[in-house]
Amino acid sequence: MLSVEALKIRYGEVEAVRRVDLTVDSGEIIALVGANGAGKSSTLGAVAGLVPAASGKVVFDGADITGLAPEAIARKGVALVPEGRRIFASLTVADNLRLGGAVHQPAAEARVREEEMLELFPVLRRYHRVKGGNLSGGEQQMLAIARALMGKPRMVLLDEPSLGLAPQLIDTVFDLIAELRRKGLTILLVEQNVALALEIADRAVVLANGEVVLAGTAKELASSDLVRQAYLGA
Amino acid sequence: MPSLYRLHRAALCAAVFGVAAVSTASAEEIIIGAATAQTGVLAPYDQPALAGLRMALDELNAKGGLGGKYTVKLMIKDTRSDTAQTATVAQELIDAGARIMITPCDADPSISAGQLTQPLGIPTLTLCGSAPVLTGAVGDVMFGTYPADNVQATAVADFAVSEGKKKVFLLTSPDTTYTANLPEYFGKVFEKKGGAVVGRGTFTMGQPDFSAEITNIKGLADKPDLIMTAAYEPDFPAFIQQLRGAGVTIPVYGADAIGTPTIKALGKLVDGVVYTAAGYAEPGSKLEAFNAAFTKYAGHAPESTYEVNGYEIGLILDQAVKTAGSDDPKAIRNAIANLRDFEGITGKITYAGTNRMPLRPVALMRYEGGEGKHVETLIPDAADVPAP
Amino acid sequence: MIAQQIINAVSLGGVYALLALGLAIVFSIVGLINFAHGELMTLSGYALLASLVLGFPFPMAVLVAVSCGALAAVAMERIAFRPMRSASVTSLLLTSFAVSSLLKVVFQNGISARPQAVAMPGWMTGAFSFGDFTIGVGPSISIVVSALALIALEVFLRRSVTGTAMRAAAEDFDVVRLMGIPASRIIATAFLLSGLLAGLAAMLWVAQRASVDPLMGFTPVLKAFIAAVVGGLGSLPGAVAGGFLLGIIEVLLQATLPAAIAPYRDAIVLSGVIAVLLLRPQGLIPAVRVQRS
Repeated sequence: MLSVEALKIRYGEVEAVRRVDLTVDSGEIIALVGANGAGKSSTLGAVAGLVPAASGKVVFDGADITGLAPEAIARKGVALVPEGRRIFASLTVADNLRLGGAVHQPAAEARVREEEMLELFPVLRRYHRVKGGNLSGGEQQMLAIARALMGKPRMVLLDEPSLGLAPQLIDTVFDLIAELRRKGLTILLVEQNVALALEIADRAVVLANGEVVLAGTAKELASSDLVRQAYLGA
Repeated sequence: MPSLYRLHRAALCAAVFGVAAVSTASAEEIIIGAATAQTGVLAPYDQPALAGLRMALDELNAKGGLGGKYTVKLMIKDTRSDTAQTATVAQELIDAGARIMITPCDADPSISAGQLTQPLGIPTLTLCGSAPVLTGAVGDVMFGTYPADNVQATAVADFAVSEGKKKVFLLTSPDTTYTANLPEYFGKVFEKKGGAVVGRGTFTMGQPDFSAEITNIKGLADKPDLIMTAAYEPDFPAFIQQLRGAGVTIPVYGADAIGTPTIKALGKLVDGVVYTAAGYAEPGSKLEAFNAAFTKYAGHAPESTYEVNGYEIGLILDQAVKTAGSDDPKAIRNAIANLRDFEGITGKITYAGTNRMPLRPVALMRYEGGEGKHVETLIPDAADVPAP
Repeated sequence: MIAQQIINAVSLGGVYALLALGLAIVFSIVGLINFAHGELMTLSGYALLASLVLGFPFPMAVLVAVSCGALAAVAMERIAFRPMRSASVTSLLLTSFAVSSLLKVVFQNGISARPQAVAMPGWMTGAFSFGDFTIGVGPSISIVVSALALIALEVFLRRSVTGTAMRAAAEDFDVVRLMGIPASRIIATAFLLSGLLAGLAAMLWVAQRASVDPLMGFTPVLKAFIAAVVGGLGSLPGAVAGGFLLGIIEVLLQATLPAAIAPYRDAIVLSGVIAVLLLRPQGLIPAVRVQRS
């Protein structure tokens, strides 16, 4: 469904991503793991169109989407849940959701979709008229995911969904991710919590210094020595 | 070292042009430098005056030039209505060989140009700057040409008194000599002749809003029967629009700067506004003939009396060069300073015995139904005119 | 007398608020202080004059003039700012200065350096009386129009999807784009709104001044800038608060300062602005912006 080929990203003189190749098949969860600064978020940003690629290619559904504007990529069905959630703090939960579904569908459909989201995230129904900035971290994460889902994407890019959340909230979020996959969504997950990521993912790609150092099924990686020593603290 | 390079180049340019000026300013040519506003707030005044001057010089050149001898080369540079820029372009004109300098319709830029021409003895004439302090501030090379502020103010005050006005409110702006002093001259004459100044207000030029001043006028315990101001465009339209918009119907009088097509085009809004002009074209008068000739020359009728005033500057210079019998700046200056009862287009013009602000008639005008109607023309009694 | 000055202050403040809001809307989205905002006003003023000269009825002329301001703003974005979109804030600022100077020269050379009189309809001069209290038609119109414009803008920003997206874009533009909402649409709408506000403000301005001239936009854009900074740059409620505050201070000083100190009015106003900024460096109502790593 998605393939990233020989992606290179530069911020001025700094090479954030030297070379990343990866593929995501329909219905899969692929985890992109690695240390801070390994180039995970930059890779997601390039897929979503927020970060320009210095070279390489991003192909979604057979179409080259490299260099497209973020809004164009979003309209093709790729939704990014950005790191740090980045919900609109001064807008209500309702408005946040409304924008998520704003242009992809007629108003009536968007309302049906919003209802579905409120079913899926009951907490958002409770705080429907509350400003996003007044929600707790976990609630904001729910909102960020729900907002991304409003546009009925076929693929979701999740950037560090566990960041800054209390342990039981992390569980809730990951249960939800599993649930979304069961519903047929394709997910590319960036996560620093490698153990958690490998638990949920089908396959994983390990990045270090902007390059892929290891790739394979989640099971293989979980038992690899490199991953165990470097990321799982064993 | 780009700055040094630029300096070097500038010096080179100056040298080249200096040579050029010397070579073109042959015995039969005289350069008149016009440091005037093509753009900015003074442009509406400088441009018509300059058009009149240009017409006079074209006619004179056709007859052999100033004094029938010296073909005039008019060099015009834009001051952008900025005082500092006026000094800059005046210097450029001096460097180019100007023997006579023409300056904008306002005291401040005229003084800044005059400070450069005074040491060189170059006679300097303001197009329609009318502040009586102007000539004293510069020195003996500086000449006014238009009726001075205190002369105009005296004429308006005489008229107001004759109408039976008793109490005046003075609206001034400290931003220019004209807007600051003219209403005060009016106040002095008005009080001397039995009237009273019941209030004063100030504004900043370009000020968006006059409501506070207007409210103060409305709140005066002693109600004025006249408001006197020297505000001009675009402040005058703003003031009177807001004044009438606040329901105040007290008459407003001003001076020459509101005798413009813009103010006239305000229509009913300015009904009853009295202002001054350097002359009025009565049927059969020389001014009427001038207006016809100007219309032919410029393709449009004169907007005001600034055109004829500019034209008269040309005539004055012609007479002065004739009297001087040379193109020597000092001789020309002396000839202008001694001019007496010179027959211009609007009437007799006299410099002799004045502080280089001319004695000449003032026409009083009143807007009625979108037209400027002539009320009367008078030369105020010199004894009534307040000292600058 | 005091009530009268309060009305004056509200009337002037309302116009400043519209102007500051026009600057703030664009700034909140693209980070640009559009110093050519004043020339949008000038353009609307000339459009009003032209429409009246062509014999349009007054309401129609106002409609044409305001639309001209709005369309010119969109065109300005298209022609001058869109090619600079990825440029730095400084380059954008310089571009806006360039556009401003260019338009001034075009007005001066293409129309006239001299102010052109705009004869306002007669009903605009006069006053309503309530007992011995009178309120002029001019200030009343200013107040009513500013209030209606502020309400309409508020409704648009709250109720419509595009309005909501604009509020969101002020916080985090990238994420709005991630929602599939085109950047061009948001930016074009921001300029359209700022142009509408400039057009409306121009109508009120011209109604109070009865003339248009090439340099007409300079003072208002300066006031708008001050108001927007005092209110909190990029904050829309801040711009409104800043506009009213500036109007109130100016009228108050004009009404009360003795003549000897009056020339220092602007200096005093600006000192007040500095004092406000010392106490509240982010302005009265700071803009919400996401902290990004």
